[in-house]
Amino acid sequence: MGNKQTIFTDEQLDAYQDCTFFTRKEILRLHGRYHELAPHLVPMDYTNDPDCKLPLALIVNMPELKENPFCSRIVESFSEDGFGNLSFNEFVDMFSVLSEMAPRELKAIYAFKIYDFNVDNYLCKEDLEKTLNRLTKEELTPEEVQLVCEKAIEEADLDGDSKLSYADFENMITRAPDFLSTFHIRI
Amino acid sequence: MTSYRNGGFFNAAYHDSETLEIDRSKTHHTNPYAGGERPDEHYSTGQTGGDAAVGRVPGWREESWRESIPMGLISTHSESPSWHHDLNHSTFQIPPDSQRDQSPHVRLSSKASGHMTMRWRGITMRRMSMFPNGDPANVAFTEDAIRNEMETEEQDLVKELVALSTRDRIRAIRDLPMSFDEKKHIRSHVLAFKSSKQSRQFTCFADCTETVSLSFRRCGSSMSSARQTLELWQGVMKEIGGKFGTSVLIYFVFLKWLLMFNIFSFLVNFGFITIPLLVYDPSPNIPPNVSFSGLEILSGAGYFHYTVMYYGGYSNETLHGLMEYNMQLAYFFTTAVYMVLCGIALIFSMASSFKKNYVLADPTSNSAWQLLCSWDFSITNERAVRQRKNNLRVQLKESLSEKAQRELLTLTEELKHFGVYLGSWLLSTGLAIGCGASIYYLCQYQQQLLPADAADWSLLQEAETLLVPFVVSLVNLVVPLFYSLFNKFERYSSQRRQIYALVVRNVFLKISILAVLCYYWMNVVAKKFSCWESVVGEALYRLVIVDFLFLMLGSFFGEFLSNVIGTRLLPRLGVPEFDVARNVLELIYAQTLAWIGIYFSPLLPAIQILKFFLLFYVKKVSLVQNCQPPRRSGRAAQMQTIFIALLFFPFFVGALSMFAYTAWSLTPSEQCGPFRGLNNAFSVVGVWIDDLEEIPGSQWAVWIYENVIRSEIFYFFISLIIIVIIFIFWQVTQGRKQLIGLLRQRIVNEGKDKSFLLDKLQNLQKSQPDKKSKQKNQKKHSKRRPDDHSSSGQSNSNAMVQALLARQQLEQEDERCSSDGVPVPSDISTSSALMQAMLARQRADDQDEDKHSSSSSAFTQAVQARQRAEGRERDEHYSTGFSESPINTSSAFTQAMQARQRAEEDGADDAHDLPSSVSSVMMQVVQARERAEKEDRPPWAPAPPQNSAPAGSSALIQAMLARQQAQNEYDDGY
Repeated sequence: MGNKQTIFTDEQLDAYQDCTFFTRKEILRLHGRYHELAPHLVPMDYTNDPDCKLPLALIVNMPELKENPFCSRIVESFSEDGFGNLSFNEFVDMFSVLSEMAPRELKAIYAFKIYDFNVDNYLCKEDLEKTLNRLTKEELTPEEVQLVCEKAIEEADLDGDSKLSYADFENMITRAPDFLSTFHIRI
Repeated sequence: MTSYRNGGFFNAAYHDSETLEIDRSKTHHTNPYAGGERPDEHYSTGQTGGDAAVGRVPGWREESWRESIPMGLISTHSESPSWHHDLNHSTFQIPPDSQRDQSPHVRLSSKASGHMTMRWRGITMRRMSMFPNGDPANVAFTEDAIRNEMETEEQDLVKELVALSTRDRIRAIRDLPMSFDEKKHIRSHVLAFKSSKQSRQFTCFADCTETVSLSFRRCGSSMSSARQTLELWQGVMKEIGGKFGTSVLIYFVFLKWLLMFNIFSFLVNFGFITIPLLVYDPSPNIPPNVSFSGLEILSGAGYFHYTVMYYGGYSNETLHGLMEYNMQLAYFFTTAVYMVLCGIALIFSMASSFKKNYVLADPTSNSAWQLLCSWDFSITNERAVRQRKNNLRVQLKESLSEKAQRELLTLTEELKHFGVYLGSWLLSTGLAIGCGASIYYLCQYQQQLLPADAADWSLLQEAETLLVPFVVSLVNLVVPLFYSLFNKFERYSSQRRQIYALVVRNVFLKISILAVLCYYWMNVVAKKFSCWESVVGEALYRLVIVDFLFLMLGSFFGEFLSNVIGTRLLPRLGVPEFDVARNVLELIYAQTLAWIGIYFSPLLPAIQILKFFLLFYVKKVSLVQNCQPPRRSGRAAQMQTIFIALLFFPFFVGALSMFAYTAWSLTPSEQCGPFRGLNNAFSVVGVWIDDLEEIPGSQWAVWIYENVIRSEIFYFFISLIIIVIIFIFWQVTQGRKQLIGLLRQRIVNEGKDKSFLLDKLQNLQKSQPDKKSKQKNQKKHSKRRPDDHSSSGQSNSNAMVQALLARQQLEQEDERCSSDGVPVPSDISTSSALMQAMLARQRADDQDEDKHSSSSSAFTQAVQARQRAEGRERDEHYSTGFSESPINTSSAFTQAMQARQRAEEDGADDAHDLPSSVSSVMMQVVQARERAEKEDRPPWAPAPPQNSAPAGSSALIQAMLARQQAQNEYDDGY
């Protein structure tokens, strides 16, 4: 806002405000961050919706995501093509869902997508193993990984199909109040 | 979304678990479009992705609809935007009424806008039920139907959003689980719809209001932006969260919240009590022999004794400025209203926090929680991430080994544990009581040395008063450290219990200290000192200040020293962790002091603000320099709830009752303060009411005072009503609990049903592959021709026609082939004819599926169900079925084909009557087929031997029957 150059029109900002959990100032800040990632690729002028996408490798370098074990999954889940190329709108979407204001349901839907590595709409054992390996630097023995995953499925699986559907996941989330505060990236 | 589609295609699990046409279309390329570039790729990708979610579990869609929701929702709406968009644009003009009656509309009150996602789920569910249980006729509405349905959904959504108020609408749009582009799209539709609706009514005025409301909203949003800028410690919070995670952040959030609380109370007190007094009489009436010595900052006595800092500095007069201002009333009401407001704020934040964090919380699912919910996404520091990973690993290993260890616990060990618990509880309780008693005797001893009038205190005596706060703070610092030593001996089964035990002991200690102090002030100080309210205020001031010093010392000794020891001297101890529970309890204690002091020292919140403000930075520096992230990630949100509850229950309620006792029962000092000369502070209200009686028109206030405030009956009834309400709510809660249990049980049951059906399906699928391989030979015939079509670039709606054409061609080929082939055996049994008809149909169906690969899962199931019904027979006759290829077969086949074609055409016509019931569609198919049969029979009836026609028709009828039977069986499955 400091420079007088218009990045967004008022209508655009209104749309952003109505559709995300950000204020216009935060949208501008997000644009700044997005621009920062690739100054020569991202235009400063967004008034005519330029078609510009940043690849996963650039976005994952943000300090907010860099150290997150799920960073690539997060970015992939929010990209339309599934390969992690994010347009600015998707970028805003991502941080909107991860913001403090987003309701539990919305967060749960995207968290499920993030943990669903093989994109089969279920958190199967394979997904949980991947999750666990990312969470523990792959230092557990395969047997331990197996045990933990089995236990997790056993605990959370309500319908007994030995994989976690969204319903199971959501049920678990509603009973884990921390989720709201931990599934949160401050931007 | 591509990824989702791919997931659907390549995931082996799908192959095994469910009959997905998607998989099949991938495995054998009979799809006419599969080879070349798809001219309609946009659509087919969209459809596949969408239906992968929709039709995945065809039979039990309605029951398990939730499963495919997240992706179903997102996938259908976020793929192939170009297609999506022009679709919406083209349909927006459709009159809303015609859309409405296509799908049952769920009314949504504006209050329910928060449940917009639920509504979306409802839509998805509806879309799924659009394909009633596996009837082949329904394959006909594929693309059109889905498109229509999606249009309808969007229309419905837009309509609902239009009906909401602006605020609710924005909230609902924000909560939609779609990407921003779609939200924006929906929003633009809503706005367009709204403005068109308005412009029909009154253009100019609507324009005006629109602009005004828009500018208002922009103004509001810029206000919230500004508020965000003013938000305290945004960056620091982010840094702490990034380095230490949410659980440590709770301390700082709590600190900030208390700071805000104190700012509010300072503003209230300063605004309503101090400012009027200062405006009226700016100079404090200090005796000439008292001067500012510097010790006041610590002790609060001396010079401060005469200022507006304390109760004694306020007058009891009615101030005559611009208007009359009764100081007595102002003092009483400000304090009372402030206490009530604090209580309400605490109750609300406690209730909301409880609702959010505790109601459904369930400690049983520990592993799953650790895996999927415990990772703190806000952590950005590399070291912290590494440490957290380590911690999690250790925890998981521990939990695995604990499982093994748990069973080995013998009776003697249990007794030993019990003994340790008992001992440590006795010790801690005894310690708390002992501390309380010793502080009481210290106070007693000290007050005997002090002269009754505070004006006579010498500087030394003034310094001596610091002894009590010093001892109190020392106890508060040392004893909790001692308590945490107990942890070394006690073995609690979970870390949470350990924390709770620690918290309870600390709370008990602090309560006993505060209770003793309050008792001393109420019973000893109030009787001895001449201006006792100010003396109590000074004591509280000292406690607050000394407590602050000790908090700083605590973070120096507690954190800095143990860091030095841990890193230099005894590496075994390691770098200390930040003890959130202990630190939060210190904050609670400090805040309680401020609440107790609000009556005696109205400006104490100012000191408190300063204290908390500095404390924030001290703690932050100490944390970043000395501490490491907590080893165990406790359930931070629940701890927060507990802290707020603790702040409310013993501490705030204690302070409130202390205030109430002081105001109602104690005699105010006679020489100073606003209530001098009164029996108690509350009688101010009585005096005021007496005054009011003389003013005409204020009789109602008097009446209320007499009949409500002072009447026991009123309170009796109020408490009765409250008890009844509590009882009712309690019953409701019990009922809900039962309901939750039942629903959970139902989910479990449905899961069992699902796995049972899945098993059955898998068995079926396994028994099929050998047949399929044979069918493949046949399909090769058809493969050539449709390929020609793929280049012609048809639109999506043509796909259906093409499919039919392809099938007819196949049919002709088959006929040709069969007529060239072996002569007809005369003794074909009915069963084999039936068998062949089935086979032919199945073949055709397979073709069909390839064209509508994604949407016909329901249909496939029907086929499979039929196969199940006929399975054995077919196996026996399969070998003859194809190789002989008799005329009968082909005729039966033709019939079946034509009937199907007819039925499908009918089905396509019916596509608009969504969702038609299963049985009616079924009937239509049967009728159509019969009709087809009748029509088709005459031309070729003479050609084949007479017996083949009946054989064919009976075969057909049997096929129908079998299918219906299968259907019924299927329906009975639920």
